[in-house]
Amino acid sequence: MNIIEINQLFKEYPLGNTTVHALRGVDLVVSEGDFLSIVGPSGSGKTTLLNVIGCIDFATKGSVKVGGREITALNDREITDIRLNKIGFIFQTFNLIPVLDVIENVEFPLLLMKKHSASEIRSRAEKLIDEVGLKEYTKHRPAELSGGQRQRVAIARALVTNPDIVLADEPTANLDSVTGGQILELMKEMNKIEKTTFIFSTHDPNVLKYANNITKIRDGLIEKSS
Amino acid sequence: MKLMLKIAWRNIWRHKGKSLVIGVILFIGALLMTLGNGVIAGMDAGIRKNVVNTFMGDLVLIADKQKSDNIFFNMMGTSVESISSYGQIKTVLGSQDYIECFMPAGENVVMILKEDENSPSYAYLMGVDFTQYQKMFPGNMKPLEGRLLNPGEKHGILVPTHIRNEHIYTAMGVWIIPEGEGVAKENLTKEALENFQNITFSSSIVMMGMASGSNTSTDIRFGVKGIVKYNALNTIFGHFCVTDIESYRECLGYFSAGDQAVEVPKEEQKLLNMGGSDLDSMFGSEQLIVPNARNKGAGLEHKAAAAPVKETNIEDGIYNLVFIKLQHGVSYPYALGRLNKALEAAKTGVRAVTWNKAAGPIGSMTLLIKGALFVFVTLLFCVAVIIIVNTLTMTALERTSEIGMMRAIGARKSFIGGMFFGETAVLSAVFGGAGIAAGIVIVKFIPFFHITTSNDMVQLLYGGDVFHPILMIPDIAVTTVQLLFVTVIAALYPVMVARNITPLDAIQRD
Repeated sequence: MNIIEINQLFKEYPLGNTTVHALRGVDLVVSEGDFLSIVGPSGSGKTTLLNVIGCIDFATKGSVKVGGREITALNDREITDIRLNKIGFIFQTFNLIPVLDVIENVEFPLLLMKKHSASEIRSRAEKLIDEVGLKEYTKHRPAELSGGQRQRVAIARALVTNPDIVLADEPTANLDSVTGGQILELMKEMNKIEKTTFIFSTHDPNVLKYANNITKIRDGLIEKSS
Repeated sequence: MKLMLKIAWRNIWRHKGKSLVIGVILFIGALLMTLGNGVIAGMDAGIRKNVVNTFMGDLVLIADKQKSDNIFFNMMGTSVESISSYGQIKTVLGSQDYIECFMPAGENVVMILKEDENSPSYAYLMGVDFTQYQKMFPGNMKPLEGRLLNPGEKHGILVPTHIRNEHIYTAMGVWIIPEGEGVAKENLTKEALENFQNITFSSSIVMMGMASGSNTSTDIRFGVKGIVKYNALNTIFGHFCVTDIESYRECLGYFSAGDQAVEVPKEEQKLLNMGGSDLDSMFGSEQLIVPNARNKGAGLEHKAAAAPVKETNIEDGIYNLVFIKLQHGVSYPYALGRLNKALEAAKTGVRAVTWNKAAGPIGSMTLLIKGALFVFVTLLFCVAVIIIVNTLTMTALERTSEIGMMRAIGARKSFIGGMFFGETAVLSAVFGGAGIAAGIVIVKFIPFFHITTSNDMVQLLYGGDVFHPILMIPDIAVTTVQLLFVTVIAALYPVMVARNITPLDAIQRD
């Protein structure tokens, strides 16, 4: 079953007096449970594509369906709810809430959902923190963790809501190669355990070995999917 | 909500410097607001105690034909129009359940004359039934020398220290002492003391009324019974000498109760009843002047003098105003509306005005000072709001990554707005609350310093001679509401900025 269906997606940005054509008619289909890597050089449009899929940015033209639902015509509240319930994010710069400790950061999306009891939230967060190997660090604030540990927290947070898709924009860009490898291993493992679709972007050819499928993008167009 | 407040509280600690800046502004703002409200409340209470309760009442009735509502402190000395329908007025006032008490009085400008000089001085003279006056305004003055007026005493006068020192001694070089009293040297002014050997002392003053429409004002010699000091606002109220109503009427040339009691001969009655348009009738067939006029005239004088005097009713004579005190809690607009309607229906020829309108510049000054204080507090709000808005907006923009990330993982705009507002609310509650508490403590302590003034304007600010700000529960509630208002206004724009931060803003910033 297709979790994402993109048809003739265009994205244009105004930049001074000119227009930047970030995406120029992208067609892409992603199956459920996939571990997909979008690769391409800087400025190729991979971050823009991830942002549109993740309802963070909006398409200029074209169709984007997430879980069978067209997202291009939704309002802010509906878009926010999709981000909360269907999508998990892992950012390049870790992006944890600095005033919350590890367990509170992981619990944060569940608290926003207001669907679960406090004990359910706590046990779910503890389980994921355990799975990402940070059991000893639950009461640490982000500033007290290394880059790799923060990214692990971000992975746990992205998965805590049982999302349909986890989007990771260059999750290893700010990490050394060893830690980056560990993070991708972890993502792969979580993909297996949680059966969640992972889509991550990278411009590092060394991380491609972790992907099940690879989509190459250049100048805003899909060059090759495999 | 718990999560929102948790993040808000921790963010306050995380950004200690900015929180402290906002906190200090809120503390100072709340402190000054509390003090300002204390001064305004103290001024209100002081004015009520010192002006309303001891000098003028809440409302004053004046004649309809009176052009200006200002009947006290008229700088140009314009006279106060007469009221001749007090009987009717009394009936109307007696039937109004929101009126606590009332009292008629005469009040006008008089010239103080010196027998051997042509340059008179001036004062306000108030004619009252002194027993009734003391009941209406109990303890509003005390005799510094001599005594107060006795019931029914005529041609006696109470002279305030201000009139004696400024209007009589400085202007005329005469030092007034009460009848039967010696010179109280301790009460002499510095100038009078230096010039003691050359001072003329007197226990009486001659006054002449200056009422408009009265060509019959008379020089009246008043025996000074007491030199008085008003218990509060003496510099302002000290322009008013007090005498009995009948002597006042005599001085102003008004129709008095005594006049009415005299049985007027038929011929005089005809003359009195003759209107201005009926002057020709003087030369009609009926002879008013007879050949033996001189003898007859003498007879008339004799007859008038010997005429039987009916039992006089003081209230049948002329007044200039009626002081009215309202029941506690009755609003001025309500009382004015009802009373003026009733007075008009009864065709009394008078209207009710509030004390501050009747007090003219003094009343206006009171409102002005109150307004100025209000403007000061409002300006304080504005400055506080501007600084807080600026600081919070900077904070919101500096936290674009954090806020954008929260939005990316599913936080709604309302959550972001609530979190930001929560931060401001917590700061406001902690620092603003401390400011209010400090303000209350200061207001409670100020009376112990017994700060006094003799300056007229400052007395109005104080609401009396002593600076006595007060804070009651409603005043504190008002300050709290003001602080809440400042918090909401100050948080609105930063909250809007924070709400509008998108996940894309965060990513682009990174």
